[in-house]
Amino acid sequence: MVEAGEALLQRLRPLRFGLLLLSVLLLTQATSLGAAGVDQPAADQPAAQVLAPGWHELEYTPPEAGSYQLPPMGLAGDGRVLNTNGEETTLHALMGDKVVVLSFIYSSCSDANGCPLATHVLEKLQDQLLEDPSQGQGVRFISLSFDPVQDTPQVMQRYGRPYISGDFDWHFLTTSGQSDLLPILESYGQSVVRDPESEEGETGSISHILRVYIVDRQLRIRNIFSASYLHADTMLNDIRTLQMESQGQYTLQGPGDVKSGYGSGDYRTKAQSLEQRKGAPALLWTPDWKPPTGMPPIPVPAENPLTPEKIELGRLLFFDRRLSHNNTFSCAMCHIPEQGFTSNELATAVGIEGRTVRRNAPTIYNVAYLDRLFHDGRENSLEQQIWGPLLAHNEMGNPSVGLVIEQIKSVPGYPPRFELAFPGQPISMETVSEALASYQRVLVSGNSPFDRWYYGSEADAMTREQQDGFRLFTGKAGCSACHLVGEDWSLFTDNRMHNTGIGYQQSMSKTPASTVVQIAPGETITVRGDVVADASEPRPNDLGLYEITENPDDRWKYRTPSLRNVVLTAPYMHDGSLSSLEQVIDFYNRGGVDNELRDPLIRPLGLTAEEADQLVSFLQALTGDNVDRLVADAFTVPVGNTGSD
Amino acid sequence: MHKTTIHSSLRKSICFCASLLLTSIATLPSAALADETCMSPYMAKIVGQEDYVYVWTLGAEGIGDEQDKLVTVDVNPASPKYGKVVNSLSVGGRNEAHHSGLTDDRHYLWAGGLDTSKIFIFDVHSDPAKPKLHKIIDNFVKASGGVVGPHTTYALPGRMMITGLSNDKDHGGRTALVEYTNSGDYVATHWMPTDQDLGGAVKSGNLADGYGYDVRALPRRNVMITSSFTGWNNYMMNLGKLMGDAEAMKRFGNTVVIWDLHTRKPRKILDVPGAPLEIRCAWGPLNDYCFTTTALTSKIWLIYEDDDGEWQAKAVADIGDASKIPLPVDISISADDSLLWVDTWNDGMARLFDISDPFNPVEIQQNKIGAQINMLSQSWDGKRVYFTSSLLANWDKVDAPEGEDLQYFKSYTWDGEKLNHQFSIDFLAENLGLPHQMRFGAYSLYGKSHPDIAASAMPPTLIPSNDVMTNSGGR
Repeated sequence: MVEAGEALLQRLRPLRFGLLLLSVLLLTQATSLGAAGVDQPAADQPAAQVLAPGWHELEYTPPEAGSYQLPPMGLAGDGRVLNTNGEETTLHALMGDKVVVLSFIYSSCSDANGCPLATHVLEKLQDQLLEDPSQGQGVRFISLSFDPVQDTPQVMQRYGRPYISGDFDWHFLTTSGQSDLLPILESYGQSVVRDPESEEGETGSISHILRVYIVDRQLRIRNIFSASYLHADTMLNDIRTLQMESQGQYTLQGPGDVKSGYGSGDYRTKAQSLEQRKGAPALLWTPDWKPPTGMPPIPVPAENPLTPEKIELGRLLFFDRRLSHNNTFSCAMCHIPEQGFTSNELATAVGIEGRTVRRNAPTIYNVAYLDRLFHDGRENSLEQQIWGPLLAHNEMGNPSVGLVIEQIKSVPGYPPRFELAFPGQPISMETVSEALASYQRVLVSGNSPFDRWYYGSEADAMTREQQDGFRLFTGKAGCSACHLVGEDWSLFTDNRMHNTGIGYQQSMSKTPASTVVQIAPGETITVRGDVVADASEPRPNDLGLYEITENPDDRWKYRTPSLRNVVLTAPYMHDGSLSSLEQVIDFYNRGGVDNELRDPLIRPLGLTAEEADQLVSFLQALTGDNVDRLVADAFTVPVGNTGSD
Repeated sequence: MHKTTIHSSLRKSICFCASLLLTSIATLPSAALADETCMSPYMAKIVGQEDYVYVWTLGAEGIGDEQDKLVTVDVNPASPKYGKVVNSLSVGGRNEAHHSGLTDDRHYLWAGGLDTSKIFIFDVHSDPAKPKLHKIIDNFVKASGGVVGPHTTYALPGRMMITGLSNDKDHGGRTALVEYTNSGDYVATHWMPTDQDLGGAVKSGNLADGYGYDVRALPRRNVMITSSFTGWNNYMMNLGKLMGDAEAMKRFGNTVVIWDLHTRKPRKILDVPGAPLEIRCAWGPLNDYCFTTTALTSKIWLIYEDDDGEWQAKAVADIGDASKIPLPVDISISADDSLLWVDTWNDGMARLFDISDPFNPVEIQQNKIGAQINMLSQSWDGKRVYFTSSLLANWDKVDAPEGEDLQYFKSYTWDGEKLNHQFSIDFLAENLGLPHQMRFGAYSLYGKSHPDIAASAMPPTLIPSNDVMTNSGGR
């Protein structure tokens, strides 16, 4: 505390130095201290003021981190902002990957219990967070000006630079003007009153209630601090509490019914509550949307330009179980948001009435970039692909296009939404597919640690092991021959069809003599093959691309999947037969499964165990930074059921 | 193969219970009590011989009209239509017809569909021979906040407690109890406790999976008990495919939850690994325990209140050889708490356990009923036992060995030593479908006479069974 104070003085920032002097001179007077710190120009200050607690040591021991809950208080607002380089971004673009501490300030503000207090407390909090880098890296500060006239990006840069320690993630933002600012202030309930007496007009005095917000990774406001409450110690524990929550057992990246460790008799459940499966809507796309680092622009067909209305409509349709013949299946029942927009709980999908689907549900992340869809590559646009599952007898089971259209028309909420998204056009095969395609098209996920390391020149974004893994990926292991890495961006797929032997094995292998079946945590039994066979339907065959081309050379060829977010999309391969990345690396290390049509690129790799670990480690660096945000957004979508509007 | 000796202690216990019953019914018209022994204690009981068994039957592609139906079988030996299907009421669609339950006044039969989550409410009192489809609840998922797969429909006073099996978010096993009024209005959803939201419950071991299956109440202990099976993905999946899917096999329930019956709050979560299914509570006024069996680990578990008033779970017997997946399914306790029927689906066996010492059940006989077996219902006096064959549409066997029946309703009498076959109905040959749960109907419940059996018409009597048991020897 003393050190921090000295450091503060030594930096001799004029404004803050003046405030410290002021603080020494201020006398006790109760009137101005309450829930609100009202910023006024220094000249208008009452003669005496009690300094807010944030300037001092906390007078009580803050409650222990993790010992309490911070109930969500609603969605943190979004809006267009400018960074210190003058580049436009959005608030939500700066939320979701970290816990965010957001305060509203203006650079000329000088009330000791106003903006300077907020900035001082944040600076102190920054120092405390930096003591534990692993914790500090998960936090971002945003100081947003509500004085766009005076606080240009350059002013904010000058104002903010002295506060930032090292590379701490602290953004000093402003807006291009009142039209962008006001909606933001409104969404945060920040009432700002300009002093009408001021001669300086727009640039003059600004009265506001000091509020600092803590926003979690699901973009929900979890605490609001005012002048009399704001303190670095309590905020630190709030942040730790949220980090324990998100780093602990409750995550948006994996099934809510966590089964890791189930092989052990000591297995402990970490089941998440469905009632608390609530998210926060995100701005998925805007007309000036720019791809995240490592991703190319979204290819959009000329006849189906993206619009927010289509995306919103497609999102509703995606989660509507009434789009299946018996109202039990939406797209999202197999492409489950928290399960990597696929299903982690099934090797191959199960469709309507429990009918067997031969293949693993593919992820929807970055599906916009695929020019061949389905594992056998039989479709070439999302708009066309959509009708495949809708009409497949063993997926959503609709007997006709017309029935789907009539079903959608019969839901009261849809006709007006279609009219908004497609003015003057009917609800039709085209508009349904255009809406669904639009939502899926914007589920873009990039800016992964790899991207920041490779394209963003952040040398520490990947660990040493991950960097070693990348060298193997593009070198000895030869992965990038199919999972392409580009100069400016990488899709990690060549969008082509290959025979690795895994399909061959499924078609040509004999029924195993026995199967090990897990029957409880840590408890398995070995079941004789004939017992399993008695309980099985005839196994449906799968010949891959051959089924489309009828070219015998195309037997057991399947599309190269992207590897982005691959840790989220287990189990792996077109048939979900490999349950972990370790098994996948092992499969390729052995050269896949030999057959006369095996792709020449598939060959024994001679990787050591350490190299295999490095590759797995690298694959873990391919998770996009917006996954939590996309999942939290998906959680807000009402599931369409019989009786829903 | 058939062991027929009954232990002397067992005989004693039967006599003891019978004397209690006699006391309790002394003021009633002289008629034997007859009913299933596994129903809600709140429910009215049939006086006299049951007239009908209502069989909630799955439609199957290629069989008859391919849709789910309520099949009414005449089971009164005095009736000219004895042993015949007297009514079949198709409801539209294949909904994964599964369990059904009567309202406390026995006027309505609620039958759930595990796939579509529809609940079909049949009027069984206006004409017991010919149930009418009274109402369809088709917005159960929406009303409940995302619960899928209504399973047990269990009578509480004036309302139905419905267990879910799954949810509309991931089709997994996390689910809830859902409460409806007898008239079919949604009341409340009670989520099964999970680690993230224990709802005030205490974990007794490692597990709080949030799964659901069956529910039973012990009103005098203010206790409600639930068990846990699996979610839609698994119960709708082909069984062979399921056994080969390692991830899917991790998603079975491993818990039994003790609830406060009055407040509907979970109190304690017991670790019962391997998918505990049906719960059958003892009837004896001092018998503060229930049985359940685990489908995958093939054991009988005792859920009991110990001397300190704490509820505990203990594995008390094996059922067959677990590695052969006998798959214990329906169980039925005798009214005197001395016998437990256990059907093992995979080998088609009805096994009888002596449970007079509840901590040491002993298997006393096995009876081969068919190629597969699922539900059983016995009359209150235990003298009549009925069996059906279907488990789940995509788990059922498609072939039967020569001489073994595949999809059937079978009626037996139990003479205290052995089962005696009375009649069978082949549900495939009759183009009906896959027979699942059975519930009894009788004219006597509604003060009516059997139109075809004038002489044996029962006096109009409705007895709330819980009162019967309480009067016979309250604590």
